[in-house]
Amino acid sequence: MMSNQNSVQSGFLPIPSIRRTVSPSQALSRSLATALVLALLIFVLGPLVVLVLWAFAGEWFYPSLIPQKFSLSWWSTVLSDSHFGHSVLLSFIFAPVVTILSACICLPAAYAFSRYQFPGRRAMFIGIFATNAFPKMGLYIAIAGILYATHLMDTFWGVIVIQLMNTVVVMTWIPAAAFSAVPKSLEEAARDVGAGPFRTFWHVTLPMARPGIIVAMIQAFLASFDEAQGTFLVGAPNYITMPVQMYSMVTNYPQQAAAVYSILLSMPSLILLLLIRKYIVGGYLAAGFRMK
Amino acid sequence: MVNRRWIGFLMAALPIAFLLAFVGLPTVESFFYTFGYTGGPNAVVSEMAQNQVVSHHGATLGVYTELWKMASFRADFIATIWVTIASVALLLVISWVIALYLRFSDGWLARVASSLYLIPMFIPSVIASYALVTFWNSGGFVDALAKHLGDPNFPSFGYTLFGVVIGNVWTGLPFAVLMLASGLRNVPDSYIEAARDVGARAWTVSLRILLPMNTLPIIIVATFNCIGVLGAYTVPYLMGPTAPQLLGVAMTSYFSAYNEPQQAEAMAVMVFILAAAVGTWYVIANLRLDRKSGSV
Repeated sequence: MMSNQNSVQSGFLPIPSIRRTVSPSQALSRSLATALVLALLIFVLGPLVVLVLWAFAGEWFYPSLIPQKFSLSWWSTVLSDSHFGHSVLLSFIFAPVVTILSACICLPAAYAFSRYQFPGRRAMFIGIFATNAFPKMGLYIAIAGILYATHLMDTFWGVIVIQLMNTVVVMTWIPAAAFSAVPKSLEEAARDVGAGPFRTFWHVTLPMARPGIIVAMIQAFLASFDEAQGTFLVGAPNYITMPVQMYSMVTNYPQQAAAVYSILLSMPSLILLLLIRKYIVGGYLAAGFRMK
Repeated sequence: MVNRRWIGFLMAALPIAFLLAFVGLPTVESFFYTFGYTGGPNAVVSEMAQNQVVSHHGATLGVYTELWKMASFRADFIATIWVTIASVALLLVISWVIALYLRFSDGWLARVASSLYLIPMFIPSVIASYALVTFWNSGGFVDALAKHLGDPNFPSFGYTLFGVVIGNVWTGLPFAVLMLASGLRNVPDSYIEAARDVGARAWTVSLRILLPMNTLPIIIVATFNCIGVLGAYTVPYLMGPTAPQLLGVAMTSYFSAYNEPQQAEAMAVMVFILAAAVGTWYVIANLRLDRKSGSV
């Protein structure tokens, strides 16, 4: 009886019958999608939410799922610690210096890679990749040997060198892709109406490549700001930046202090990355990793 | 014209010169140091090093054979390989699924997902490792949650090798999904519709059309993560077990704690060789693709 009814219905109304055969799989894929996003939510956000809870916890004993007591006392403990102020200051000195130095060294190269043909161009472009190809810790240890020899170990410039190294790839590749994306015809049009090469660069090329350059500069700033491994190896004990301080926080301080410190340390990255989020998703980052 | 070529060369030479001085030179020096050469810039390090193998005539493999004789080093080496392969494989599968989902869905759920996967990029790796180890540790949140849900024997992943894998997947997620999603965006809808018209299911479309058209982004994600994990310090140091250690952590302890820089640099050389093999794959894949697109 039921099957008869179905066939009669589908005979008259083909569209609902199609919808009926599709809908279970649609429902399935929708619930699969929900499960996927939920799993992603827990995997990505779970640890961070728990960390934030810890920062405001007075008492939190296993197996309770939320703290038994909330408290703000750890915030004042961390903020009034003199180590804290010093490492914040250091981090905010190193990161801008590294970013500006990196831009001075790499941006001309990025422009050259995208606009000039010269001997060894491809080899040099791939050569820059070598810094990323070498595993970080191995590289730092190799460099530390040279820094000892040149008396740069545990100095301001030693730390600058270590941090600068991490920025070269993003600072060259991403802007190079951004310069390449500027149509040559636009530059030629500017030249045709009488603009000189510098004026063309300043008023046509640079504004169009700006988002890519900004993404690269912020990535460089954060690479320096978040760098812990190399700075720890080269800068300790005199140049303890925020992420390096975090190592001793994790091992020597109570959970709450480390949690408070984590939140403070994440703030600059969070703010900067929110500012450039649309450019990153827009593909400027991804474009930088295809060799051209 | 000749003038322009040289201007380009000089502009590009600036970062190259920096890298040669601070990456190329140290790498070559430490390479020779591990074979027993203690002269030149190595002299300062070798003066304070302990347990050093010195060669006065030619090269010696002494450091390497010493290391391989140690069971603890062999365990470290195997653990590093295992964690690298597991991390990259797991990351590729997870980020491929997320990228596929983002390519074919819209609506608020997809928008939530497209913000979620980016979050780890905002968090410095020291903090990420710390947050993750607190979350997955025994006595941590997942442990407590499992107990509430009636499973008191749920394994805790803090300070285990699998914990390091979780950490690598978490920190690698934004870059991986970004690369794969931007690759998937470049596949024209018409290709996918054509395949569906002839009856291909989602699974077939994914494996037979989208996967082969995205080999380059997949290789980029695989190689960059492989190299990143091989030389990582922060995640394995904060999330991993004390033994076996990953090589990034082990070489740091040899360098700083045991004061055996030669052994540390020998480990670095071995990791370099592994990474160079992976890096070559990346370069070849790029060049091959370049040639292909050039001929079309």
